[in-house]
Amino acid sequence: MDKILRIDVGAEGGPKATAVPVGEYAGLGGRALTSAIVLKEVPPLCHPLGGENKLVIAPGLLSGTAGAQTGRISVGCKSPLTGGIKESNSGGQPSQVLAKLGYGAIVLEGRPKGDDLYKIFINKDGVKITKDNSLKMLPNYDVVEKMKKEYGDKICCISIGPAGEMKMGAATIAFTDMELRPTRHAGRGGVGAVMGSKNIKVIVLDATGMPVRAPKDPDKFQDANKRFVDGLKKHPVTGQGLPAYGTNILTNILNEVGGYPTYNFRQGRFDGAAKISGETQADTETKRGANPTHGCHRGCVIQCSGTYNDKDGHYLTKQPEYETVWAHGGNCGISDLDKIAMMDFLDDNYGIDTIEMGATIAVAMEAGLAPFGDADAAIKMIHEVGKGTDRGRILGNGAGMTGKAFGVERVPVVKNQAMPAYDPRAVQGIGVTYATSPMGADHTAGYAVTANVLKVGGDVNALKPEGQVELSRNLQIATAAIDSTGMCLFIAFAVLDQPDTFQALLDMLNSFYGLNLTGDSVTELGKKILKMERDFNTRAGFTPQHDRLPSYFKTEKFAPHNVTFAVKDEELDKVFNW
Amino acid sequence: MIDKHSAETGPYPHLAFVVARPLVSSFFLLLQQGVMLRSRVGCSVEAFLRQELKASPGTIEKIQSIVLDGKPVDDIGTAVLHNGSALALSAAMPGLVGATLRRGGAYSSFRSAITYHEPGTACMPGEGWVRIKIFNLLMAELGPDLLRKGVLLRSADLLGFLAGRAREFQQGCSVTLNSRSIDVGMLDGNAGLGKADQVFLSVSSGPAAA
Ligand code: SF4
Repeated sequence: MDKILRIDVGAEGGPKATAVPVGEYAGLGGRALTSAIVLKEVPPLCHPLGGENKLVIAPGLLSGTAGAQTGRISVGCKSPLTGGIKESNSGGQPSQVLAKLGYGAIVLEGRPKGDDLYKIFINKDGVKITKDNSLKMLPNYDVVEKMKKEYGDKICCISIGPAGEMKMGAATIAFTDMELRPTRHAGRGGVGAVMGSKNIKVIVLDATGMPVRAPKDPDKFQDANKRFVDGLKKHPVTGQGLPAYGTNILTNILNEVGGYPTYNFRQGRFDGAAKISGETQADTETKRGANPTHGCHRGCVIQCSGTYNDKDGHYLTKQPEYETVWAHGGNCGISDLDKIAMMDFLDDNYGIDTIEMGATIAVAMEAGLAPFGDADAAIKMIHEVGKGTDRGRILGNGAGMTGKAFGVERVPVVKNQAMPAYDPRAVQGIGVTYATSPMGADHTAGYAVTANVLKVGGDVNALKPEGQVELSRNLQIATAAIDSTGMCLFIAFAVLDQPDTFQALLDMLNSFYGLNLTGDSVTELGKKILKMERDFNTRAGFTPQHDRLPSYFKTEKFAPHNVTFAVKDEELDKVFNW
Repeated sequence: MIDKHSAETGPYPHLAFVVARPLVSSFFLLLQQGVMLRSRVGCSVEAFLRQELKASPGTIEKIQSIVLDGKPVDDIGTAVLHNGSALALSAAMPGLVGATLRRGGAYSSFRSAITYHEPGTACMPGEGWVRIKIFNLLMAELGPDLLRKGVLLRSADLLGFLAGRAREFQQGCSVTLNSRSIDVGMLDGNAGLGKADQVFLSVSSGPAAA
């Protein structure tokens, strides 16, 4: 991973690839690398879909190694949805493969000269870029099928669907899983639109003939990896809960505590929750011969993913995640798991963020475009996005745009990005993260490692109101650091509870790179990333007033607990005081 | 006709399944929807778990999130069950919010707006009904005993669950309604429950059904 592949899409005669040394970006991976490149090379006031923006795709520091859970890949750019810096990450095979091929990142830069669409093939022999207008407006599954016919089945793909080509704010970039299906997505912030603006439809990777990346100290690395895997396996969340039920295990409990946003964030309980819970989903999958326990890339030992079959036992989509089931289910008043799974497939195929799309449909329902609970109308809306009808163009640009177009006040966005599946009035600490994350409303922004392990900023008194601010800060710092390793964020549950598992993770990094990192170094890395991201946003015109929830969260009582968001603005402004 | 009334089942029809052991788990999904249990009330959640649900210390340790009347509980020794209380039990949950909902966890302040506080109204020990929901990995831990003991649930929930499952229960299963055998095929219809709103359900595994 000592080189960066820069592809100038505006070069004479078509896109031109040049591999350059990582240089000043040495030692960075994943989110740290994408944010560093965007901060240094992208003018904060540029148009996100213009020639000055860059799309950076970077595997994590441990991707391509024999380490477990190391297949996370980061995508960075100026976001067309938020107007700020964006890092959106994904599972799937490409992170491991790109790292094995020796690239620390791919950077798409420049402004294309015409309308032609290109595909990029990268293997051990080099890079080949070919014009291929037959791919125009193809959905992701079809693109991958075509690539398979052309390049064989040892490949993996990074692609956009029609939503990306139409440069929509909810457009994703798809990453293929172990079965070569485009089911994993860098979903948030419209990163697919930036890839579309560069006229690149698909990047095909083939690491045949490339070895697994070798650690500096193989024995220590093997030992650390073993301790790390043991830690994941013995923990009840990563060793049992996630494998059995996936992330949708959260539906029942969130609903029970009244923190499950329903009917466009109107109330915290959904009558149909048990019909779409992780327990029901796993039971349905098993009965239909699908697999509720499956990894999204090789080397995953947690296996929170799975497959979902239709009533006839045929593959329909990957196991929809909690966020997806909530966005298309409870938030829209829909309790039909098969229809939700269909929406998951359509989102993946057209290349749309499931969270943004579900939140958008709920706003559209609030506007009266369809009644809450009408699953067929919701499916039709997704098709409209994929086909680019006039209405689809509005919906495909997210909840904020849809709210404006149809005159809706209740639009649950921060920095124009839709909130995920936890109501910030019931769980106020997560509201702090939604409000202040440089990424816009994002549940994963403050997700990772406990303050008690990292001791970020000293011990926190969680019982004081300001404890929520301190905890959110610490979590955001730790998450930024984890996002740089290539580790799946779900390791956090084991690392959170088991200091020895956290130490094993540090030992993996240290033995691989010959470093001597401590918890403090991880903290410093996380702080550095957040500082870069906030610096970019400030120069892009963001002010403290952008670090706020929509005002109705402060005034509209949320049933059943009848609570409002009570963290004061002055407290929110302290999140990044360290 | 429903004619059986007993102290154990109350004035409700009693549908009793004796099934082959692997089939018991088929009923676990009912537990996530919520079932009523005749039980001691006026006692702490901890006492209820130990004495009524027969949860071992190991199982209680696994119960990481406890929700009483819609509010996450931190201290199971002081939270008290009342007649009509709703209690939900879950194993450890993923994600920051999962961690936030853990009892006494490092992030409990994140949800302080909805945390359970004992109202302080006196509750005399006695008998009553408790609505209980059991989620995820705990279904297999607590489900068999609870189902054997029997639970009360809405007939509509049970019939909705049984619809289309008659074939699943065709083998290795015997069913009685108020102690009289019924044909498993009836489970796809009304199961003989008539207009009863609620039904007492018990499920046990036994040699007769093996
Ligand atoms: S735990 Fe889930 S998201 Fe993480 S690598 Fe495994 S399957 Fe992918």
